[in-house]
Amino acid sequence: MFLTRSEYDRGVNTFSPEGRLFQVEYAIEAIKLGSTTVGVRTPEGVVLGVEKRVQSPLLESSSIEKIMEIDTHLGCAMSGLTADARTMIDHARVTAQNHAFTYNERIKIESATQAVCDLALRFGESVHDEEAMMSRPFGVALLIAGIDELGPQLFHTDPSGTFMKYEAKAIGSGSEAAQSELQDKWHKQMTLREAQVLTLRVLKQVMEEKLDHHNVQLAQVVPGKGFEILDEVKLKELVDEM
Amino acid sequence: MDHFPTNWGRPRNDAYDAYGTFPIPNRPLNAPKDAFGEGVQRTQQPIVTGTSVLAMKFKDGIMMAADNLASYGSLARFKDVQRLQPVGDYTVIGAGGDMSDFQYIQSLLDDLVVEEFTNQDGHNLGPKEIHEYLSQVMYGRRTKINPLWNSLLVGGFKDGERFLAYVDLLGTTYSADTLATGYGAYIAQPLLRRAVEGRAGGADALPEEEAAKIMEDCLRVLFYRDARSLNKYQTAVITASGVSISDSKALETSWSFAEGIRGYGAQTQ
Amino acid sequence: MNPMNTAAQPQQRQFNPYTENGGTILAIAGVDFSVIAGDTRQSEGYNIQTRYAPKVFRLTDRAVLAVNGFAADGNMFVKKVKQRLEWYRHAHAKDMPLHAIARLIQTMLYGRRFFPYYVYNILGGIEDDGSGAVYSFDPVGSYERETCRAAGAAQSLVQPFLDNQIYFKNQQPAPGTAHPAHLPLPHVLSLVIDSFTGATERHIEVGDGLEIYVVLAKGRDLSGLEGFAGLQEVSSRSDGERIFVIRRELKKD
Repeated sequence: MFLTRSEYDRGVNTFSPEGRLFQVEYAIEAIKLGSTTVGVRTPEGVVLGVEKRVQSPLLESSSIEKIMEIDTHLGCAMSGLTADARTMIDHARVTAQNHAFTYNERIKIESATQAVCDLALRFGESVHDEEAMMSRPFGVALLIAGIDELGPQLFHTDPSGTFMKYEAKAIGSGSEAAQSELQDKWHKQMTLREAQVLTLRVLKQVMEEKLDHHNVQLAQVVPGKGFEILDEVKLKELVDEM
Repeated sequence: MDHFPTNWGRPRNDAYDAYGTFPIPNRPLNAPKDAFGEGVQRTQQPIVTGTSVLAMKFKDGIMMAADNLASYGSLARFKDVQRLQPVGDYTVIGAGGDMSDFQYIQSLLDDLVVEEFTNQDGHNLGPKEIHEYLSQVMYGRRTKINPLWNSLLVGGFKDGERFLAYVDLLGTTYSADTLATGYGAYIAQPLLRRAVEGRAGGADALPEEEAAKIMEDCLRVLFYRDARSLNKYQTAVITASGVSISDSKALETSWSFAEGIRGYGAQTQ
Repeated sequence: MNPMNTAAQPQQRQFNPYTENGGTILAIAGVDFSVIAGDTRQSEGYNIQTRYAPKVFRLTDRAVLAVNGFAADGNMFVKKVKQRLEWYRHAHAKDMPLHAIARLIQTMLYGRRFFPYYVYNILGGIEDDGSGAVYSFDPVGSYERETCRAAGAAQSLVQPFLDNQIYFKNQQPAPGTAHPAHLPLPHVLSLVIDSFTGATERHIEVGDGLEIYVVLAKGRDLSGLEGFAGLQEVSSRSDGERIFVIRRELKKD
């Protein structure tokens, strides 16, 4: 009578007899409801792209913020419960600033990613009498892009606190189709321009609405200028080129 | 509403001046009073003290020596005190300074040795580990401005290696072939250095019997010159075969020369 | 009041948690090398506590730290810096770069602003760009990158000598020539040795032994070092920056 699935999907820290943490798995499911988000790494830099679902003509599309800066050399795009990402990005920003303060150098992309993932696992946790800081896993996945001494890099994090390095990665509702498209089209010596166009093409394929410069957002991290969200003028130019 | 502005932001105490009868400028501060707030007295000087400890390396190990006196100021208060203490199987510590702090250190080390023994994990506390532990304790206490008022020598022999080092109430540490604390640093250390550094081959060429002789000479000079010393002492020898601490020995001293000194004893003119 | 009656007035005695343990350190940066040196005497007042207590420590394969002042604080500080370097290595999968160690030392020293580590630090080594570097610190963390610096008991004897011999202060270049911006390694080494023999001669707290660490940039040959008396390599790998230590005797009186 206790072996039904529902007995084990309540507590966030309770393993099921098959060795699964259902709440974490559900959180990973939540990401698949989110809008599609794409990241592409090239030797010239990393490109991030997101679909902005404009549900109503009365919605101000510029108020949808799914790509955020972490540090000058480091940015991230999200999919899932985007409100959860604010906590994570806030943590990443503090970690990056702290690193710069203490060591007078930019934090490595992997270190920033690791810091975010450490936070992602801190659900249902409490230190002696303190209140738990998070009662459930984060319902968001991130694509963290940046450049450090190891060159341009792209990382994917999920609610289980796992992170992996990718050449190109898609997350969110259209991720399956998008990922196979990326697998077909990505190649090692891609230019940044090609990556921008590829990102838009992949988004276009999986979006229900017609893609324009209002319902997508693009960002890039390049050597020198660092992280930058492309403005609508540049975006329109790219959309037209595509 | 409390209408007395001087009370605002302060803890309220209705048991004291509940009706605000004090003139405003000298109203009482109602903050909770800590009876000991101003009176926390930590060890700020040693009380019952031991004087110098001497130690040197010799060919087969370490030799240490300390007299049996614990002074209360200029009073020779306790004349049968052991200031050399074995710790574990390979180590001896010798203490100068406050004897009650030394007893506390002994109890710390006893606890440490028992804990290490009960672990039965194959780790055996050697002189290096004990010295490092003591350094951390001493430095930690000085950092709390609550020092253990001692100068300690740690001597030992483990894994075919001699070890001899110093640590004091400031957490200062160092190691050398010859060491002396307290007054001995002024009187005995030069003699010890002459005997060891001045010898071809240094401590490695010094046999135990000669080391014992040098040690006794140093203690004798100290007894002549250090007013807080005693002619009863013990020595410790730590070698590959373990730790041995001698029974109390008496120093042979001669005071006949003093008869000729003006101002000492009965004067003939 | 009767001066003999000390009990008549309450006495305030304070434990002093600091002492001075003498000794001197110095460091000089070259184009592609760095030299960090210190004597090995530890003293308190007129007592020599030991003739061999190292004040110069290898931190990584390209960083060496010299610490001078209160020895107990110095040893504890070095211990904590090494601990932080190891944590950094585990967290970021690389050795901490020199400029990062410099900043870390500042934050660690300033963290104790109101109960300072009573130590003067000089950090020497090789930067990421392959240049030799020296950073000097005060006890509460102010720091700057320099070409050379002396600190400790004989700072007032050694620094003016270095100012004259390295920065060429009070020297006029011969007409039509300029003073060199960086000196070659053998020249630097003889300046270091002269600094310490001089300080030993004139300062009672300096002497006994000399330890000179030499850090060479990646790919630099050993020219200027080979055949040097008392030379020993202490680098953990031979394909990166390399560290050598030279041990010499100083007068013991």
